[in-house]
Amino acid sequence: MNLKRELPTTTLSGFALSGLLVLTILNILLQNMPTKIQTAGDALLKLNATEGVANAVTTVVVFFRGFDTLGEIAVLFIASLGIGLMLHSNAKCNIKVESNFMLQTASTLLFPIILLFGVYVMIYGHLSPGGGFQGGVIIASAVLLLLISHKEFEVPHSVIVALETFAGVSYVLIGLIGLFVLDTFLGNFLPHDISQMGLLLSGGIIPIIYIIVGIKVGSEMSMIVQNLIKRDHDV
Amino acid sequence: MFEFFNQPEVIKTIVTIGSMMLFFVGLFGLLTRKNLIKIFISVAIMETSIFLLFIGLTFKIDSIAPILDSAHTDVAMMNDPIPHAMILTAIVIGMAVLALGVSFAIEYFKLTGNTDIDKMNEMRH
Repeated sequence: MNLKRELPTTTLSGFALSGLLVLTILNILLQNMPTKIQTAGDALLKLNATEGVANAVTTVVVFFRGFDTLGEIAVLFIASLGIGLMLHSNAKCNIKVESNFMLQTASTLLFPIILLFGVYVMIYGHLSPGGGFQGGVIIASAVLLLLISHKEFEVPHSVIVALETFAGVSYVLIGLIGLFVLDTFLGNFLPHDISQMGLLLSGGIIPIIYIIVGIKVGSEMSMIVQNLIKRDHDV
Repeated sequence: MFEFFNQPEVIKTIVTIGSMMLFFVGLFGLLTRKNLIKIFISVAIMETSIFLLFIGLTFKIDSIAPILDSAHTDVAMMNDPIPHAMILTAIVIGMAVLALGVSFAIEYFKLTGNTDIDKMNEMRH
């Protein structure tokens, strides 16, 4: 009996060969990249100053690709909806075990601090690294901490519905107001002077939209983790 | 000895080869594992390699974050913000797809008590 595990040489050599091919093609593509692609970032950074927002990544995500971000949060909403449909259970009982006293106290103490940090990251998204997506995920992590430590805790469904509806509707409404005022969807119709750059109230609609994105991402992620934790009693 | 690694070509080569190795680790797991959850984790590893490739290829030596203020106005020394924004989108979409796939796997396990893809024969009859 051969105790040595047989190496799948055919599979491994096939992997090595395809890896070599991909590397070669990638190298050719990178060598022949048009110079316009390489300078697109600098051009965007120069354009970024006209919007009065310090963080260039925020301007790209929310302003230059704002319509794309609207589609992205729609994808996130559809994923959250699908998870809710798949893991929905009528049985109101969950099999979460009772956690100990220290975990409960510590998570109760930490929850407001993590929530505050998430809101800070969300609101200062146009001035410092961070933004709506990151802040929303931090808020969802605070909710997850409460969900795993408190047996009875549950995010109220009506609050999530209200927050998600508010965020989605106001994103589209702000875009439509821009369409009516400036003839562009998501046009920056609020004052965005370059002299205000670096202040909290700067950049026109960009920080407002990022806060809306943060509310939507936070509520959807909280719903996703709650649906993944909640289980039927027969499994 | 570390001056050698400070050349842009060397950094780009290391990033490309490393992320491609990670990509093929994920692909190997995707093709050889039988467990549904492990397959989804392999897809997540492949996604991570692409994020690393995008961010690593646009890295410049001695560059700063693309955040303008009164002290940092040199646009040429800033990192390219476009890949950062693209990868931000890709991370969110990848997370949503992973969570949805895992929830499908959980529901399939609830219905059949099985996560092995070789034993999936519900559609055969």
